[in-house]
Amino acid sequence: MAIINSEAFREFENDAKTLSNPALEDFRKKGGKVIGLMYHFIPEEIITAGGMLPYRMRATGSKGTEMSDSCFTQINCSLVRHFYDSGLKGRMAFLDGVVSVNNCDHIRRLYDNWKWKIKTPYMHFLCFPKKTGKEQVKWYREQLEGFRKSLEETFKVRITDEKLHDAIKLHNETRRLQRELYELRKGDVPPITGAETLSTMVAATCMPRDRYNTLLKQLIQDCKASKGRNGYKARIVLFGGEIDDPKFVDTIESQGVLVVGDVLGYGSRAIAANVDETGDPLEALSRYQLVDRPADVRIFGTSFDRNEYVVKTVKEFKGDGVISVRLPQCDLYGIEQTTLSFHLKKNRIPHLGLETEYVLESTGQIKTRVQAFLESISEARHDRNE
Amino acid sequence: MTATNKGLQRFYEYRDRIAGLIKTMQESPEPNPLLIRFFTLINEQDKRVIDCLENHKPLIMSHYGNAGEIFAAMDIECYGPEDNLFVHQQFTKDMEESDNSPFPQDMCALTKLVAWGCLTNIIPTPTMIVAMLQPCDALSAVQEAVQNMEGWKDIPTFAPDPTYGRDKSDYVYFAGELKRMIAFLEHHTGRKMDYGKLRDVVEETNRQYEAWAEYNELRRAVPCPHNSFIGGKLGWIMTQHMKAGQAEVTEIMKMLAFDAEQKVKAKQGPLPKEKIRVMWADMIPTWADPIAAWLEQERGANVVMDFQSATPYERIDTSTEESMLLGLARRTMSEIPMIRAARGKVDYMIEDLTRLVKDYKCDCVIFPGHTGHKDQSASIGFMKEACRELNVPLLSLAADNFDPRTAPLDVMKRQIGEFFDAHELGK
Ligand code: SF4
Ligand code: SF4
Repeated sequence: MAIINSEAFREFENDAKTLSNPALEDFRKKGGKVIGLMYHFIPEEIITAGGMLPYRMRATGSKGTEMSDSCFTQINCSLVRHFYDSGLKGRMAFLDGVVSVNNCDHIRRLYDNWKWKIKTPYMHFLCFPKKTGKEQVKWYREQLEGFRKSLEETFKVRITDEKLHDAIKLHNETRRLQRELYELRKGDVPPITGAETLSTMVAATCMPRDRYNTLLKQLIQDCKASKGRNGYKARIVLFGGEIDDPKFVDTIESQGVLVVGDVLGYGSRAIAANVDETGDPLEALSRYQLVDRPADVRIFGTSFDRNEYVVKTVKEFKGDGVISVRLPQCDLYGIEQTTLSFHLKKNRIPHLGLETEYVLESTGQIKTRVQAFLESISEARHDRNE
Repeated sequence: MTATNKGLQRFYEYRDRIAGLIKTMQESPEPNPLLIRFFTLINEQDKRVIDCLENHKPLIMSHYGNAGEIFAAMDIECYGPEDNLFVHQQFTKDMEESDNSPFPQDMCALTKLVAWGCLTNIIPTPTMIVAMLQPCDALSAVQEAVQNMEGWKDIPTFAPDPTYGRDKSDYVYFAGELKRMIAFLEHHTGRKMDYGKLRDVVEETNRQYEAWAEYNELRRAVPCPHNSFIGGKLGWIMTQHMKAGQAEVTEIMKMLAFDAEQKVKAKQGPLPKEKIRVMWADMIPTWADPIAAWLEQERGANVVMDFQSATPYERIDTSTEESMLLGLARRTMSEIPMIRAARGKVDYMIEDLTRLVKDYKCDCVIFPGHTGHKDQSASIGFMKEACRELNVPLLSLAADNFDPRTAPLDVMKRQIGEFFDAHELGK
């Protein structure tokens, strides 16, 4: 149900459908190095400052997990199993390096297994705190300093503070443009669907940043010129972790709803705030990940703020309800989904909790549940209006 | 019934049930003095918690591995939310009822039970919470979820943040967290930390771990002097789930070691013929007793070592405040069972596995595949590789350490039996 007619968008859409893409390949042909980010919390700006391309790892197009089954079991989330399988099959062989954090129990072991068997030339691990505070900012800043040094030594580059400042500005520009795009979705006739937005957001993480920014400016112009969409039956805010598959959002939207806003890793959580452009850049990057951006489920003690952030998003984007999604075996999002449901109930915001595997296998159940949810939203509206 | 009252009521039940058990043991024809002393400690702990609840005294809810020495030195009582739920598991329907929990069912049963216990207030509300952010995702997430529940919202909470490594910088950072934890406790209780008292407590826990390590050494003997899991069960509960630094605990660990020593000298073991020595690559499950009995009686197998028993002893230097906090940081992050196996990179666990299989002359490794230990399940390739190199077979199950319904005993017995047969173990 694509609604946007835009050359720029078509490129984003294609980039989000595959692991590699022409812009990335072009970058590599010119000798550029590509560093895979195994999850979030890793400042892409440091990699950009080193003249390299930060690439958010995905397993888009993965067909199975059979090769990863000797190293993971069924109690591991399907995201890591597909990532690993794709790595073993050489689908991410274009990576010159991989950097990870101790995001969750699955990811930290994905890193160990990757290091063991896939042998990407450069591997680095960052220890990310589990709560936020000035001591944690200091700790993570030291981790980032180690990361900078390690990149410099391995790739024989200089990552000066000046280059970091430039990279921060470049990435802030991306965030600013993405926020501009999100703003357009707040209106009654949003020019872009949730699935299209996700493609656009994913594309940012797999191509050179300056090219992305240029294309995104074009897309925003195209959006402004478009008539937008009306006739949808409900406005939805989507909540979850690192959902990177636009098809999943498309499945939801195929039931006549429009995803107008989100609280996703590839979505508003990544763009709501800018990195401070003044002062020590590493400290600013550390503070951004730990304090400034909307908190992630991993950061203990921020639960109330996280839940409130969802409510705020619903209000800002005039959402009729929230659909949250969690991958089976994911404790972090499983518990978050439950706590969020309590909070939304208290705020009288309709909520549907879904579970889906990383690779969308069957869409029937999702469609049925969204249909039922839509009915409950209509009933709630009816009750309110009576 | 208010939230506190419901939890308090539960503690009365726990206290009375354990008191009854102690009485029965005392009246038996052959009373076991060691077990009587052990259960008396549990009973006293419950009574102290009741006193705090009844009289509104400072009371911490926390978890094993949170440097309980500090609580004890500040004379603040503490309880683990799950402790009694498991001790009394067979007398309640808590596990079955937690199936109604709105939280996901694919989580570790311990975390499910804690969430359920707090939601239904069968766990009493404390005056402070010291949360634990290691070793797994579920535990920290559940503690945060609890903060959102009615009756639990406004309880002052501190959560020491662990790092991922085992370097000096990791311990220095965590020692800083412990200092901040002390400041938090001082603020909320009005009590001052007495470092002289902390020294006494730590010296006592040093002795406890030393006695435990001595006991573990004795289990290397062939035949193993005691039954499966014994040291780990007692040592773990007494050092991590009771008030830290009680001399009585040291005594019990010494009694255990003395008894083992006599048996080693006499070349005596609990089995008529020890045929298979098993390394259990995880914590001791709540259903350990029936499986151990079956292993011993039917297959002549003794679980000679497990990750709960394998607590290494490294003395904490008590010469200065700094050295004590640094030592507690190290113990907390790198030595306490479960945390030792799960926090940090996979190498730590594999090194332990390799060393234990060699030191304890194990014939095989059983990995229970606990539902919650997602990191360990994602380490299965490493375990297989390590076992291949050690030339011992590995059996991987799919159980839950706390919920016997996940993998029924009969199924496990069959799987273990087939595994032994396939590898001709005990033949
Ligand atoms: S979905 Fe959950 S379990 Fe899977 S990698 Fe993400 S946070 Fe970890
Ligand atoms: S038993 Fe394991 S999975 Fe369960 S809470 Fe403890 S560390 Fe986490």
